[in-house]
Order: sequence, then C-alpha cells, then structure tokens
Amino acid sequence: MAKPKIAFFKFSSCAGCQLNVLNLEPILLDIVGAVDIRYFVMAKRENFEGPYDIGFVEGAVTSPRELMELKKIREECSILVAQGACACHGGIPSVKNFSGMTQKEMEQRVYTELWDLKSFPAQAIDYYVKVDAYLKGCPMDKDEFVTLVTSALKGINPLFRYHSVCNECKLKENNCLVLTKGKACMGSVTAAGCGAQCPSLGRPCEGCRGPASDCNAASLAKTFIDLGLSRDDVVRKFRKYAGNTPEFSKGAEAV
Amino acid sequence: MSDRRIFVDYIARTEGDGAIDIVIGPNGEIKKARWEVWEPPRFFEAFLVGRKYDEIPEMVQRICGICPHGHHLAAVRAVERAMGVKVSRQTTLLRELLHYGDWIQSHTLHVYCLAAPDYLGYESVLAMAGNEELLPVVKQALSLKRLGNDMSVLIQGNEIQNRTSVVGGFTAVPSGSELRKIKERLKEAKDFAVATVRLGAKVASQDPYPQLVRKCEHVSLREEGKYPINGGRLVSTEGLNVPDWEYPEWLIEKHVPGCNCKHAIVKGRDSFLVGPLARVNNNFDLLSKDAQAIAKEVGFTVPDFNPFHSIIARGIELVHAIDTAMELIDELGDPVYEEPKYEIKAGEGYAVTEAARGICCHGGRIDKDGVCQKWDIVAPTSRNVYNLEKDFEYFVPKLLNLSDEELTLKCEMMIRNYDPCQSCATHSIKVNLRREA
Ligand code: SF4
Ligand code: SF4
Repeated sequence: MAKPKIAFFKFSSCAGCQLNVLNLEPILLDIVGAVDIRYFVMAKRENFEGPYDIGFVEGAVTSPRELMELKKIREECSILVAQGACACHGGIPSVKNFSGMTQKEMEQRVYTELWDLKSFPAQAIDYYVKVDAYLKGCPMDKDEFVTLVTSALKGINPLFRYHSVCNECKLKENNCLVLTKGKACMGSVTAAGCGAQCPSLGRPCEGCRGPASDCNAASLAKTFIDLGLSRDDVVRKFRKYAGNTPEFSKGAEAV
Repeated sequence: MSDRRIFVDYIARTEGDGAIDIVIGPNGEIKKARWEVWEPPRFFEAFLVGRKYDEIPEMVQRICGICPHGHHLAAVRAVERAMGVKVSRQTTLLRELLHYGDWIQSHTLHVYCLAAPDYLGYESVLAMAGNEELLPVVKQALSLKRLGNDMSVLIQGNEIQNRTSVVGGFTAVPSGSELRKIKERLKEAKDFAVATVRLGAKVASQDPYPQLVRKCEHVSLREEGKYPINGGRLVSTEGLNVPDWEYPEWLIEKHVPGCNCKHAIVKGRDSFLVGPLARVNNNFDLLSKDAQAIAKEVGFTVPDFNPFHSIIARGIELVHAIDTAMELIDELGDPVYEEPKYEIKAGEGYAVTEAARGICCHGGRIDKDGVCQKWDIVAPTSRNVYNLEKDFEYFVPKLLNLSDEELTLKCEMMIRNYDPCQSCATHSIKVNLRREA
C-alpha cells in the first residue's frame, strides 16, 4: 500500500495542537516515515497541493477566508480530522461568541483602526463541513493522534469512547474534587481520553474535551449552584471550551 | 518597467499564517516591505472582560501554543499584582524552572527544526533526518526538545497547556526524586547544548550573514543578580530602564492598515527588537559561567546587532537554561504541596515575562468580585513586526544580486530570525518579492 498522504492545516487557534505532533519526539521520525507528509507549513518549506488521504484541521472557523479554505480542504481530503478543542467545538476562540458584545464592539476594543477586519462567531469545523474523526482536548491528546494514524494505516476504526472524565478519575483512584473538596469540576460531563489529567493534579476539570456522551449538564449546573457558585460563574464554566455545543448550552441555560 | 516583487504566501517553519510582500524599484530602492499577518484576530482582550480572574491565565496561554508559558506566567503575575497576592519562594522557583523547560523546548525546536534547515540547505528537519550524517544530530535535538517538554509535563501536567499553575501557586508539585531525574538528564544534555552554540556560530559565519548588521534598539528585561525570565525591569541598549509594570507607558503601538497586528515603538523613539539576542545583549554578565565561556570561545561579543546571530544567542541561552535549571532543582530540594491562599480584591496590575521569543506583557483591572474589567496583552511577535520590516528595507538592497529564489529564502530567514509566532502577533509568512526591471 502506498503511504497515506497527510496534510495539516491551521485556522483560528494557538498552533499548540500542531506543535503537539512535533512533541512526539521519541517516535516522530517513525511516524513521519510511515506516512507521506504533503502539507505542513509549520514544519516544512516544501508543501504540495491536494488531494490528501488524511487532513488534520486545527482551529475554529472565524473568517470568510477560513470558511472558503475549509470547504476546499474538505473536497481535497478523504478523511477529515478535527484536531483539538478549537476545531472540535470552537474552543477558546468561541468564548467571544458569548461575551455579550457585538463583533463591532469587540473590534473597537482591540483595534483602533477598523480597516478590513472580517470576523464572525467562532464555530467548530463540523458546523460547516462533514468531519470524519475528532481529536478532542486542548491541546489534542498526542496518544490519540498516534492511535488515529495507526488505525488509518491498518484501515480500522480508532474506537475512541467518550464516557466521562469521572471514569478515568476512578481508575486512577483519585479522591473526587466535588465530593471531598467542594470544587466545581466539569469531569462528570466531559469526554474522557485525557486520563483525568487535571483532577489527578488537584485541578478541577474545565471541560476542554467537550461533552461526554449522554451527559447531564443541567444537573451539574445545579450542583455548582449548591456548591456556592454564582449564576454567572456557572455560565462561564459551560461557555468556555465547548460553549457552542447543545449539551454544554443546557448547562449554561439551566441556571 | 516592472517592479521586482518577492511574494511568499504562507511562510514555512514559523507558527501561524502570514506573508511577505516586497517590491523593489528599478534602482534597487525598496518601495514596499511588508510582513502581512493573515491570522484572523481572536479578540482575547475583548472576551476576557467579564471573565473571572483565575480564568485569565488559563485562557491567555491559549493565545500561543509555542509560548503558552510566557503568556500564562505574565498573566498570573499581573493578576497577583492586581489583587496583592504574595507567593512562596518555592512557587517562584518552580515557575522559573517551568519556564526554563519551555525555553529548552522552544530554542531547540527553533535552532534545529526551524532555522538550521535554511543554513544547511534542507527544506525541513525531516529532510535533514534523511541524511545519514545529520541523523544523529536530529535525534539528539529531538531528545533535548523532549527533555524541555518533560520538564513541563512534570511541573504542569502537559507539554503545552498547563494544568497545575494557578493564581497563588500550584495545585500539585513534583517530587524531589522526579526533579533529580530531570537534573541527571540535563547534565547529560549539556554537551549537546554547547555544540549547538558552535553550530550556530559556524552557519551564521557563512556569506552574506556577517555583513547583515543593523543597529536598532534591543529591549528585554533585566533582573538584579539573575538572568531575567519571569520578571525584572524593562531595559534597552538605548538606556531604557523602568519597572516592568510601566510597559504600557514606554512601549507603545500603532495599528497599521493592511495588517492584523499592531506595530510597536519605544516612546519617543523607533522600532525595537525583542528576543534572545536582546536578552543576551542586555544581560551577558548574568549568563551562567559556561554560557559566557562558550560565547567567548565562538567570538560572540555584545552588543551584537546582527539578527542572523539570533541562532547563536539561542544556543547560548540553551547552555544557560540547562545550568540554571540544575541550580533551581538543587535549591528546590523536595517540594511540598502548599495550598494557594489569597483574598479576591479589586485592583490593577501589569507584569512582563521573557517568553522564548521575547518580552510578553499582560495586565489589567479586576473588580471586587474578581471579574476582569479590562485586559491588555502585547505578545513578543507583535513587538518585532515593525523592526523586521526595517530589516527588509535595510538588508534587501544589499542582496539584490541574488536570484529571486535565493533572495526569497533570505527574506524568509530574516523573518525566522525572530522565531515569530503569528498567532501571537495577532492576537505570517508569505514572501512576495517584486523588482522593477
Ligand atoms: S485546542 Fe487548545 S492547544 Fe489546540 S489549537 Fe486550540 S487553543 Fe491551541
Ligand atoms: S481533565 Fe478536563 S480540562 Fe483537564 S485535560 Fe481532561 S478534559 Fe481537559
């Protein structure tokens, strides 16, 4: 079989997810050897036009130019992967969607001269095009990236399972931050896969991987109120990494 | 008569999305020299208003995945200044160690993966790895980069976005035995860092780089008694010397039509350079002994106004980072968990850190409920954009005898000297070079 042609693209984002590919140092050269990287501007000077077998897209869509490119990329890629919270759910760039300001007011706050800034609400890429696989998290999980690439090489489905972060916390035998410390942890509504990275280090989950399957955000929102959070605090929790999603919207709207 | 135009859309081996557009007139005069950043703005300064004080450091580290630590630590310190929070010595040391880990990761990435391919004639580090002689070097570089990353993972739980560092301290601290394992690896990595300085000096001594000197103001932090990383006073090669929190008054910016980032000048003066070269120039005496020794061995003297020598400065800082990280680990001993404790208070605060690619400034106002009312962010790359355009204007006329292909590469290198992160700058690289016949 020919090596799959791979491409990496970036929209509105911090580039951390692409960097996380280069952070695979011990196996980077092996991975690179198993595929044919055709487009990766951050790492290479020679980049080639599509079509590609797998396209990884980092970042939220926030401008007409990005939307145009995304549609072209979709046509060029057999498998399109949303890489990281920004591409999967809108991520931190989507916080602006809920700032209560109009786009114009925001632009005036940041820039004094408003020439041709064209920006619209930040959306996940599947708001506009069909997405075949998701690498959740802020940043995306490196191990899941490797699983996805090796699965593609074998022609099988990567089988990511999005039960809640709580499950991983239990496997690690952590004390629950909500029950034992009264902290506002989003783990019970957030998709697992990070190995409960934050709660294992004493930090409440902030929901960076987006909604778990069958999550009950409304109920968690009420628990947060019982823990002493204000209504605004609760809204901020649910309108952060995945505020666009219907699941987390239910949490924000429950209080 | 046609202009000679160098145009590169998507500048490779930088982070983010931008373009170079240069137009050269018939007499070799530069009619236009623009570095255009295509990154759409993400409006952090706008949407942070109304968020909680503890979300500011969490969110601003998402401005740039290449220097998240610089943004995060500047914001943490600004919030702490605003609310009058004092942190322990252990927290200060851990924050420094965390940031030095990031310098090791970032400088190694830049020297070997982003810059070296230009000097050695490869399109990427992956192509370099295909050369049997270079493969061992690439492997060593990747393992040094990994070491920097492992320092982040140990202290903050993740290579990029931190999970443990919060206002007032850390939610978890590494054990002394894990830190000492890192120290052993740092010890082993030292020779390679020293070799990096020699490599940088060798490649930058090739023609035409030694001739490409342009004096401009170099701005960095400077701290009493130690090399600056997470704080200090704002100083420059032209005599600027003010407390870091006064940055909004001294480093001012203008918004330039046609570019999504802001162009920075020192008040009453001109464009300036930030980053490793500025740091080394302003703080040479504070580098570790071995870092100073290797600098002298390769003939590096300060002040050095050749931006192509940034690759040497990064190597020197790698040696310094390794030495200092080992000292920090010794001083940290066996860290114990300290619960972050503070009261939420209204206030205003500003702070500056040295991200790997230069000063990173954050600050604003927080109300009595801990809600952000105003936040100001100036990332290192936006400081450098205007200065880089002046490099183009000054250097391109010296390089007119090169073919378009060669000249384009040199222009790209002028950008890569700054190790720019364009996500940072907007909060790009396309070269577009046109000459008139
Ligand atoms: S998901 Fe997080 S790490 Fe990835 S690009 Fe977005 S902000 Fe950066
Ligand atoms: S614990 Fe939550 S916030 Fe932390 S990495 Fe996992 S999903 Fe993201």
